[in-house]
Amino acid sequence: MADQEIDRALKLVANLSIDKASQVLSKMIKAGAKIELEGVSLEDVTKATERVMQSDTGDVVGAFVDLVGDLPFKFLFYVDANDSLTLTDLILRRELGTTKKFDVYVTSTVQELGNILASAVTNVFASDFQIKMKPTPPIVVHDYASTIFGEYIMEAAAEQDEILMIESMFRVVRLNVKCRMFLLPKGDAQKELAAIVGKI
Amino acid sequence: MAKRILLVDDAPIIRLMIKDILVECGGYEIVAEGATGKEALDLYKQLKPDLVTMDIVMPEMDGIQALEEILKFDPKAKVVMVTAIDQRESLMKAIRLGATDYIVKPFEADRVMSAVQKALGE
Repeated sequence: MADQEIDRALKLVANLSIDKASQVLSKMIKAGAKIELEGVSLEDVTKATERVMQSDTGDVVGAFVDLVGDLPFKFLFYVDANDSLTLTDLILRRELGTTKKFDVYVTSTVQELGNILASAVTNVFASDFQIKMKPTPPIVVHDYASTIFGEYIMEAAAEQDEILMIESMFRVVRLNVKCRMFLLPKGDAQKELAAIVGKI
Repeated sequence: MAKRILLVDDAPIIRLMIKDILVECGGYEIVAEGATGKEALDLYKQLKPDLVTMDIVMPEMDGIQALEEILKFDPKAKVVMVTAIDQRESLMKAIRLGATDYIVKPFEADRVMSAVQKALGE
């Protein structure tokens, strides 16, 4: 199968995953959430890190989730730290602005969003492609986006110079809340994924 | 008399969401909250609640193991599983083991109430 066709098939997998994630996010926060696929790309590790450092300069709250099973992936969801307060209000159906400081509920909101979004992705892999995966409990971190992203890709960067990254941006309609979601195949999963999507 | 509920989930936000729904509906008392399967088992033995809402993916002891242990201790225990969308296999296992019902996250208040009321025979 030609690289172009594999690329198209990978984008199909990514789009199905983020469509599902978009549905569950909208339901959870009771507000329209639009998720856009920013790209599925084989990217140089250093360039990918620089790009994230340039686009997200502030501190963020994120959730790392290991997806284990037939095709291991690393999942990362993060949101600008101030926007995590808004997401907490949305989830708890509180008036916006009620949550003013980082507390256990803010951390837990990001943890649960990470869990539910990762589950939405594994659901697509299982139902549409018969690939069994399940998320492990999320690990929540609060730091600069570049630090979190660096930690996220560290393992892959040690093994290879280029990484296959599925990247998407969420926008919560009317509130200008921006979040990002990344999917990174672990170990041989990249080759296996290419082989699987090659059969689509 | 208010029905006594034990909420178990490693995410405090989910416990708070379920608690808000039950409190708003009225007629329920949240007797305790747990964040792991082990805590669920200990709290169940100690408090004997009328119903448990139980997350599946939790550290230490997961919700399935906790369900098994609770049912060993009290075969009549009423446990409603709370799970994310992809946990179909675990959910089926929980139902086979004896879970009373289940709620899929993200959930609506109506679905929570319907599962709780059905489990309690209301």
